[in-house]
Amino acid sequence: MSLAIETIDLTKRYGNIVAVNKLNIRVKSGTIHGFLGPNGAGKTTTIKILVGLLRPDGGRVIVLGEEIRESGPKVQSRIGYMPELPRFPKHLKGWELLDIYGQMYCIPSQERKSRIRRLLEIVGLKGRENDFIGEYSKGMQQRLGIAQALLSEPDLVILDEPSIGLDPVGMVDVREIIKDIARKGVTVFISSHLLSEVEQTCTHVSIINRGVCLAEGPLGDIIGKIAGSSVLEIEVAEGLDKIINIVRDLPFVSAVQVEGSRLIIESHVREDIRPKISRAITEAGGTIIYMNMRMKRLEEAFIRLIRGEDR
Amino acid sequence: MSGENIREMRRLKMTTQLLAIIRYELLWNVRKKKLLGAIAAAFIITTLTLALPVIFGSVYNRPIKSDPNYVISNSGSGSLILFLFALVTTMNSISGEFESGTIIPLLAKPISRTLILTGKIIAAIFTVLAAYSLLYAYLVIGGIILYGPQDNLNLIPLCMLGDMLSTTVWMSIILATGALSKNTTLTTVIGVITFLAANIGTSIISFFTEGAWILHYFPGNGATGYIKTLGIIRSLNLSTGTDNIAKIIIQYMLNPSAHVTYVKIEMGGTQVSPPIFRELYSEPLSLVLFRALVVAATYITALLLLAWYAFKKTQVLE
Repeated sequence: MSLAIETIDLTKRYGNIVAVNKLNIRVKSGTIHGFLGPNGAGKTTTIKILVGLLRPDGGRVIVLGEEIRESGPKVQSRIGYMPELPRFPKHLKGWELLDIYGQMYCIPSQERKSRIRRLLEIVGLKGRENDFIGEYSKGMQQRLGIAQALLSEPDLVILDEPSIGLDPVGMVDVREIIKDIARKGVTVFISSHLLSEVEQTCTHVSIINRGVCLAEGPLGDIIGKIAGSSVLEIEVAEGLDKIINIVRDLPFVSAVQVEGSRLIIESHVREDIRPKISRAITEAGGTIIYMNMRMKRLEEAFIRLIRGEDR
Repeated sequence: MSGENIREMRRLKMTTQLLAIIRYELLWNVRKKKLLGAIAAAFIITTLTLALPVIFGSVYNRPIKSDPNYVISNSGSGSLILFLFALVTTMNSISGEFESGTIIPLLAKPISRTLILTGKIIAAIFTVLAAYSLLYAYLVIGGIILYGPQDNLNLIPLCMLGDMLSTTVWMSIILATGALSKNTTLTTVIGVITFLAANIGTSIISFFTEGAWILHYFPGNGATGYIKTLGIIRSLNLSTGTDNIAKIIIQYMLNPSAHVTYVKIEMGGTQVSPPIFRELYSEPLSLVLFRALVVAATYITALLLLAWYAFKKTQVLE
């Protein structure tokens, strides 16, 4: 699979502060790729370099097969970008802004009109297009930001915190929009601190801290590798000591803890391990009197990774 | 696709993008309350220019004489109008975009920064030209109504171009300051200080020193002198700076062979002695006009290059 974004030893400094430190990320084409990290991790700096707003101090950036340092506006025409908390000129009306931006992409007039009409409907701004942007709420500006990012029908969409300022309905709408554009083969690169949103939307993630990439890959693999994919809580009637050893030896079990009469079993695979565990315990002569399973969340993987890094 | 076709497509693309940025900026300019305020101020000043002789005439019971040269002799906008128009159209066209964050989505579009700056400058020039067209139309119509048929109205377009050039000098100063500082307040303060220094300061220097020739090379009002034709004083107070290009053009078109004589005011030894005007030197009006045009062009080129360089190299940190 080809790469939509590749950074090789990307470095950016602000004076003595190293915001991005030899960052290596690889975003596969056609994926919805989450870009995660705590505040100040270097996410927005990296994104600004990707869209040509900042110049890197070192390393290489390849976007859609072109070196970003050299390509400039040429590759920008294939990228749709929504900045964090986007701000647009208040003196323009929603329609005027999209029409002018469309003109900058050299989209023919008739095509522009039909795309704008469609996008306004998708982002839920239909009926408000002739209002001045100064009269828009934060959420509406966010929706306008998404519309302008999709205007050129880009190959790569970069969204910096797309859910900030949106109400729960807006968040669901954005999630659906992102999935919908990805279905058309567009690569979506999302920076977000809303891990539940990323978990529900993204297929792949990169987790960065202090400008360095800590983990990258398919979402399930990352959660499995770092946090274990699922946790199974079991209470058995008798023979706990014997059962512990049997369960510990199972190939999909990564850790076992004992809490009173209960076993806490962590697994690194994202499949339902209950039948296998149940069979193993029964064969060992144990009787299960309570069983509860929960899947590990991205949040746990993220926190474990960041805290581990900070220690 | 042949090289010619590629070049043609590139040209077409650039034109479309340039028109987009001009539209973006023009819509901003025409919706600025500050611009409406500046136009209102300019109309008030023009109204006073037209009406004051009428008001004084009625107060002192003197009938208004028809004057075929009234409009042309009052053409050439004053420094304040030139500066105000430049200020309101350009004070936040770069810095304001950085302060509000609207520059981020704009710079992420596939349009070069050079084109963005060019579009902004063209839009500002169109806006100011439209404002001058309204003002001069008002002056001409008002002049004809109050002072009868007017001569030399064919010079009005030249006059507008002169005013435009003068305004562009101020625009360049403000744009360069805005591109360097990215702060509208600072840009405005520096602009106003430069304006005051270039107008009030230069007038004082011109009247009281012998080294006023250096003021020919400053923006605003330069050295002040008299216009003489065949040794006769034709007009008082013609200033040489970049703010007076329209007035110099008119004087040159009306009196191509005229000379400008610079003077210095020397105060009398006692309080009762009147000040003495001492003539310093003379030079042809054609030279004054040529120099004013070259100085204006130099300022515009240098400052716009500075603005372009600063804008092109700027990184969007916030």
